[in-house]
Amino acid sequence: MTLPFLTAEGMWKSFGGAQALKGVSIDLRAGEVHGLVGANGAGKSTLIRILAGLVRPDKGEIHVDGKLAAIDTPHQATGFGMNFIHQDLALVPSMTVLQNIMLGTAKKSRFGLVDWPTIAREVAPIAARVGIRASLDTKVRELSTAESWLVSISRALVHKAQLIVMDEPTASLSVGESERLFDIIADLAASGVAVLYVSHRLDEILRLCDRVSVFRDGASIDCLDRARLSRRALVEAIVGHRETTEAPIVRRRPEGAPLLTIAGLARRPKVNGVSFSLHRGEVLGIGGLVGAGRSELVRLIYGADRVDSGSMTLDGKPFAPRNSTEAYRAGIGLVPEERRAEGLLLQKSIAFNLSLANLRSLTLSSVLPIMSGRKRNELSRDTVRELAIKTGSIHTPVGRLSGGNQQKVVIGRWLRRQPRILILDEPTRGVDIGARAEIHRLIRKLAVDGMAVLVISSEPDELPDLCDRVLVMADGKIVSELAGEGISRASIVAASYADQAA
Amino acid sequence: MTDLVLTNRRLSPATKRTLSLFARYATIIGLALMLLAFSALSPKAFPTLGNFTNVINQASLAMIIAGGLTLAVIVGELDLSIGFAASLHGVLVTGLIVRHGLPIPAAIVLILLAGALIGLVNGLIVTKIRVNSVIATLGVGTILTGLSFAYSAGVPIVAGVPEAFLQISLGRWLFGIPNNIVIMVGVLGGLWLLVEKSAIGQEIQAVGGNPAAARLAGINVDRIKILGFVLSGICAALTGILLASRLGSGTTSAADSYLLTAFAAVFLGSATLRDGEFHIIGTFVGALIIAFGFNGLNIFGAPTFSQYVFQGAILIVAVGLSSLGRQMAEN
Repeated sequence: MTLPFLTAEGMWKSFGGAQALKGVSIDLRAGEVHGLVGANGAGKSTLIRILAGLVRPDKGEIHVDGKLAAIDTPHQATGFGMNFIHQDLALVPSMTVLQNIMLGTAKKSRFGLVDWPTIAREVAPIAARVGIRASLDTKVRELSTAESWLVSISRALVHKAQLIVMDEPTASLSVGESERLFDIIADLAASGVAVLYVSHRLDEILRLCDRVSVFRDGASIDCLDRARLSRRALVEAIVGHRETTEAPIVRRRPEGAPLLTIAGLARRPKVNGVSFSLHRGEVLGIGGLVGAGRSELVRLIYGADRVDSGSMTLDGKPFAPRNSTEAYRAGIGLVPEERRAEGLLLQKSIAFNLSLANLRSLTLSSVLPIMSGRKRNELSRDTVRELAIKTGSIHTPVGRLSGGNQQKVVIGRWLRRQPRILILDEPTRGVDIGARAEIHRLIRKLAVDGMAVLVISSEPDELPDLCDRVLVMADGKIVSELAGEGISRASIVAASYADQAA
Repeated sequence: MTDLVLTNRRLSPATKRTLSLFARYATIIGLALMLLAFSALSPKAFPTLGNFTNVINQASLAMIIAGGLTLAVIVGELDLSIGFAASLHGVLVTGLIVRHGLPIPAAIVLILLAGALIGLVNGLIVTKIRVNSVIATLGVGTILTGLSFAYSAGVPIVAGVPEAFLQISLGRWLFGIPNNIVIMVGVLGGLWLLVEKSAIGQEIQAVGGNPAAARLAGINVDRIKILGFVLSGICAALTGILLASRLGSGTTSAADSYLLTAFAAVFLGSATLRDGEFHIIGTFVGALIIAFGFNGLNIFGAPTFSQYVFQGAILIVAVGLSSLGRQMAEN
């Protein structure tokens, strides 16, 4: 066996209080397609970010071509022959295919000017090899997502990348486009490039990969080679023999008139006619694959985007929020998916963040709108205690807390205000198991106390632990409604993929 | 995967803490060192109550306009129209009094309203038409200069300015404190109360810190941004009025240079006591540093060119410190 192109050994990394990696190792050989799987939060992204020079490990060694490698910046990562293709592609839409392929590469020049015709002649065979059909002069803006992927791959080839890391490449590709990508990956491996293929889609992993590393909770669980590779082996390694740490919930049936009804709601192309109702006291889950249109649906309910067609009623009255302030006034609270970007002011204290949705109730009096430090501290201490937010002080900047505690702050903001409907988008993403169970208990309690709760989650494990009913979305439509005994990880996954098989 | 934070600087936590502490107090230490140095070099002229009162009196106008600008930058926008606006307001307020015979209080109220209106226009252009605030306020400011020329043909309005109007800026209050200082303390105090202590102040800080989070928490982001511009506009108007009163004339372009001073004060201030966060007290300290710097240059008879060099250098240093502070906070 040849020397691996890259080995990473004993990698440790913590963010704030959360231990993201607990000594994972991986080795990647030239010419192999190496799969990397694991549940959300298993540590895949963190490892990739370390390899890409975006994050520095606390401990651990990386060897490239047998030599110790310090990867401090993305530029150095490129220098080691690594190339990363992320879900949100790093392309410049307003530039041409050729310009994007050559981005960051030294260009041939004549008389000090870039010699585009010569470059185009050299790049053309590479573009043809990966299957770019559009002309090199086309603006990337005009390409489909699939073709954008091909542009990124071409760039990797032009860089003479020896390792290409692909993160969920098929998430936004059609079946036919995925097929073409698989052919290209096989071709890359045959030419001696190492491919690290990160995906939740086990069918693809089984089909493409020579070896598969499995991470769980920040640790390397196994590295399966062809001989041992099977769906069952992968699932067992990913899930582990995890006895459901969370007590099973008593699923309740919705009662009375619905609080929120949605009829034929659409904003094409992501939301294509969605209808359902939400009742007081229930936790309604919406599952499905990434890109199924769930977050876009939530934006419509929260007034962040306008609807093309369809209607909503809230408490029997027509409800058409023109902006999020109107939705907020109508009694809807949102815990967004990107909690750091959209939910929190990271430099500000816990108390500041908690008080944001409650400012009117924290003033000295209703006439004098001066903040009462006492009221604010009281609210903050109560919330911190009630949600068991782990912190030394309510004046600690939120950015220093672990992911789970940050999420509790975002949720805690809505406790005092008591919205009629609380929408949570990926409530436990990047949260450790203990905090996850606490957040789940809290969400259940809010519903039992009478709130209507809508939970969006990509983790098939999450909704069964949490919901009274589950809707599954695919391609902007609801493809399945599950209730009672029908809610399980398997049924949600099956429904999510049902549409794809067709 | 979207929050790819670059963490390239390899600093130990202890080093970071020391650096951060130093950064927070650097401006204040700088001010103290400057005062000590000037006092040592010119013990007779510099460290006197008279000179200090004079410096702060002079700086009051810059502090007021910078206080307003602070509101605009806290909500995450820039307001480049303030200097031009203040010049126009100076011309208009003297014009209203001299040419149109308006009573002084009425003229002042009208001009303050005009300042609010200009802020409103700035705010609407930025939030509703979504023009970048640098471009929007630069455009508006240039138009205002044009209006000023249209009104006065570029000729200063000097004749017939009543003594009572001059007394606004020249007069003194209790214990002989100049009116300008009293007004400045009132304005900055009010703004400080608004930003730090009021409910709206929380919304103002939230909008500047993370507009997406603020919007999802039910805050009307556009309205808060407009409020920032309006307050900035009112403060510019007040500075224009006080300058006209001090100069005894309404002169086109008289207040234009306050723009740079205000920006330098605001950015120096953001590096003061906090990690690159804009705040009123910081702006006050920033304006003090600039004022004493100029005062020192004057006392030592530094040539004119050096004043420009000082002004430009302090602007760059200010923004640099502010940006460093923010990097500290993020690491």
